[in-house]
Amino acid sequence: MAKGNMKSIKRRIKVVGSTLQITKAMEMVASSKLRRAKAQTERMRPYFHALDKLLSGIATEKKDFATIFTTKRKTVKNRLFIVIAGDRGLAGGYNSNILKLVAAHKNNAPDTGTKIIAVGKTTVDYFKKNKYDISAEFPHFCDDIKASRCADIAQIAINQFRSGEVDEVWIFYTAFISALQQQTTAVQLLPFVVSETENSDESAQGFTSYDPSPEAVFDRIIPKMLMSMISCACVEAYASEQSARRNAMESASDNAEEMIESLSLQYNRLRQEKITNEINEIVGGANAIS
Amino acid sequence: MTTFNLEIITPHGLFFQGETEGVVVRTTVGDKGILARHENYAAALGTGKIRVMQDGEYRTAALSSGIVKVDREKTLILAQSCEWGDEINIERAEKARKAAEDRLSDSALGANEHAIAEFKLKRALNRLETAGR
Repeated sequence: MAKGNMKSIKRRIKVVGSTLQITKAMEMVASSKLRRAKAQTERMRPYFHALDKLLSGIATEKKDFATIFTTKRKTVKNRLFIVIAGDRGLAGGYNSNILKLVAAHKNNAPDTGTKIIAVGKTTVDYFKKNKYDISAEFPHFCDDIKASRCADIAQIAINQFRSGEVDEVWIFYTAFISALQQQTTAVQLLPFVVSETENSDESAQGFTSYDPSPEAVFDRIIPKMLMSMISCACVEAYASEQSARRNAMESASDNAEEMIESLSLQYNRLRQEKITNEINEIVGGANAIS
Repeated sequence: MTTFNLEIITPHGLFFQGETEGVVVRTTVGDKGILARHENYAAALGTGKIRVMQDGEYRTAALSSGIVKVDREKTLILAQSCEWGDEINIERAEKARKAAEDRLSDSALGANEHAIAEFKLKRALNRLETAGR
């Protein structure tokens, strides 16, 4: 009996060992990707903040015009959700957390329709499986974020918003706070909402002149700002994905190591037992002869 | 000369920040000069040169698509990309120009792709011009 058990323990040690190799490798890949993604988010952040401030500045200013982009619609019939998640799993709760947030938002307003722009392969699969109304899908997006493709997403959103197909546009992504902390985030892109912290009465004074006209400026700025918001969100989400994966793989590796240790202990104990038994048998046999 | 605070930010980081005497930007309706104590102003920027004056001398940079916003405390320019003329990699710009031209000569191009290629060509030409070639 002991012999068979020893064999199976040995096999398990081997299996866990090869899993450990995979998780270790994935952890290393994720941390090198994370380093690059982190640098990118840090470079992008000032732009993102400046853009946000500028837009909320424009939105709080006194103005003698209203654009469809800043006017809240009376009834919200349909909403467009741009959802950003990863292409691959094995990243802890990274993908499921953001999808959970989307589902929660959808359930908050059961009477409003939901359209989806899915970014990342897992998102595409999830929304297809759950029969959501998908306007566009962009699998394999975040590992190589291109401005022109972000502009495509922005254009789809603007077209739908302008035509009245949707009344609100939201973006869902995982904000990268630090390597250990990521926050799932939902932000309303259209119509603009002024962020609470940015109630600047200082710059809100006075009147801004728009060249050539507010409408023309807004028409130029809105697609650009949507594009920038989307690419910033993608960059952040990518960094979050890598750090989530790294953390998941780190704990998987730790678990595997622990398992190997306890299995080895078990194995050695059994081996010791077996040897003791054999010696006992030999000694017993020798005693019987003499 | 009176100076004002100018900030140029791109997705690649803070490009410029400092006290300047004047800045000339290319808006969608033409060049616009901004000096200290300018009225509150906002405009969209196309692909073109931007000139920043410091100590009586202009420094030129190539800028592509952005926003300029002037208010009392500072002038802020947000741009997709921005490069000083003397730091432009001419070889790369030349390569980008050729690639864009090749793409434009492809007749099977969709309207959207055509617009992208055109934009890229415009940007490459602007960079070459700013670099002084």
